[in-house]
Amino acid sequence: MAHISAKAIIEDGATLADDVVVGPFSYIGPEVTLGAGCVIGNSVTLLGKTVLGEKTRVYPMASVGSAGEDGQCGECVIGEACSIREHVGVYTAPDRPTVIGKNNLIMIGSQVGAGSTIGDHGLFANLTHIGEDTCVEEYVRTSGFSYIDDGVFVGAYTFIGGFSAIDHDAPPFAMLMGSPYRVRGVNTENLRRCGFDQDDIKLLKQAFRELFNGAGETADPAIARRLMEEHAANPQIARLAAFVLRARPGGKSHG
Amino acid sequence: MAECTIIREIAPSAKVAPTARIGPYCVIGPEVTIGPNTVLTRRVSVTGNTTIGSGNIIEEGCVIGADPQDLKYAGGPTRVRIGHRNRLAQRVTVHPGTEVNGWITSIGNDNILQRGAHVAHDCYVDDHTFLGRNVLLAGHIRVQTGAVLGHMVGLHHFVTIGRYARVGAMTPVRRDVPPYTVFHSPHGGGGQPGVQGIHEQGILAAKLAPDEQRELRRALRDLFEDEAALQTKIEQLDNLGVEGEAAYLCRFVQQSLKGVYGRHREIYRGKAPPEALRLLPPELKAKIRRASP
Repeated sequence: MAHISAKAIIEDGATLADDVVVGPFSYIGPEVTLGAGCVIGNSVTLLGKTVLGEKTRVYPMASVGSAGEDGQCGECVIGEACSIREHVGVYTAPDRPTVIGKNNLIMIGSQVGAGSTIGDHGLFANLTHIGEDTCVEEYVRTSGFSYIDDGVFVGAYTFIGGFSAIDHDAPPFAMLMGSPYRVRGVNTENLRRCGFDQDDIKLLKQAFRELFNGAGETADPAIARRLMEEHAANPQIARLAAFVLRARPGGKSHG
Repeated sequence: MAECTIIREIAPSAKVAPTARIGPYCVIGPEVTIGPNTVLTRRVSVTGNTTIGSGNIIEEGCVIGADPQDLKYAGGPTRVRIGHRNRLAQRVTVHPGTEVNGWITSIGNDNILQRGAHVAHDCYVDDHTFLGRNVLLAGHIRVQTGAVLGHMVGLHHFVTIGRYARVGAMTPVRRDVPPYTVFHSPHGGGGQPGVQGIHEQGILAAKLAPDEQRELRRALRDLFEDEAALQTKIEQLDNLGVEGEAAYLCRFVQQSLKGVYGRHREIYRGKAPPEALRLLPPELKAKIRRASP
């Protein structure tokens, strides 16, 4: 059922699929493209070269594609079946795209900075701040008030606790808490839900104990190298070790 | 004063009282009821199956009744109920309940919700409470009468905030907060959050009789001098035969101790809590009773 409110403003040049719903008082800019089944609530602002994938929903008062710190709009690509909830801001820059994968839920009042790359199946709780030029991999989950600094990398399947600050690169498969964050262990619950088997989770727990010393200290590259040799066939260990070997202590890899 | 047309979108089937004031750019959905003298200042979105009572003030940017942020929600016509004389400041969001957990989110009377506060699915906010700026209620939370939550308090799912308790600003609350206590993180936010004292203003606000006040203060001192051996202390208080609010305090703490990680309401995981059955209309109640084992 296509329904575009007579009180919405759709600029000439915007490309809308046939069955898109747009609520009253929304503004859709001239370079915006909306896929099939998109639902745009009331008072939403879509600016810049924004492309929304199929069945993505944008809730009231959110704004996607508005100018970030550079003061100019740019490109923003959002995948299928995402939910952009109330009061969320997704920002763009003229020289680099903001990319959000499919099936993400970005909850109320969160912000995604310009030039960020977000993977698939993420779940970002209320008031999560994702800075500019960050890279967040797939299946990352955050709690309320968490903060991801500009230029930081966050590994896949990681959980970020409430009120935490991610001020430097964060490993995959981890539970992170604190401000600044410390590694508190393996995100076993999320891994189990995502279909990892018990042996893999056990192995990851062992690796985390060795790498992060049970106290969330910076990982030792020598241990990572040894783990990689011992478990050469295990893709999870390879991914974790690759992160440790790449990361500089306290560094930001995407800044 | 010059006459002007107010641009707004009110669905024809919405029941809006003639004395309610709906400002410009407001959106009122088809199944919304708004009571007399309620004011929606500007750009407020009220959708879903929402009932708002009389004398409320709802400020700019509030969104009431959009889909709950729960992955279990299947799109049913679940409800929001807001009572009378509440103040919802700018950008407050209230979500309806979910089908499996009781269908309704409820805000009582005379509450103040500061800017950016979020009342999630299946929450019950009683009366005379204060929710500070950006307070995040996760799902399934009960905030009892007179509770005060400071700015940027984050609550875990299924937490209960007791009557006239106070939670300090920026505290992460992972377990039930006992009534009439002050709850925050010690050492300037460095330690584990816990009960840090008696909420004297709360006791005054509850307008208890002098005897009851004395008994309550003694019970609070006994229990929270240090939070060890609570069960034994409650049994001792019970043997003394405490009554009124002190007895309510003992029951509250006992229930929390029995709960999961100090959260009594975890027992309502996946089913409708008693508050829902009290608030819902009878036909819906019967439907839920039939659906739940």
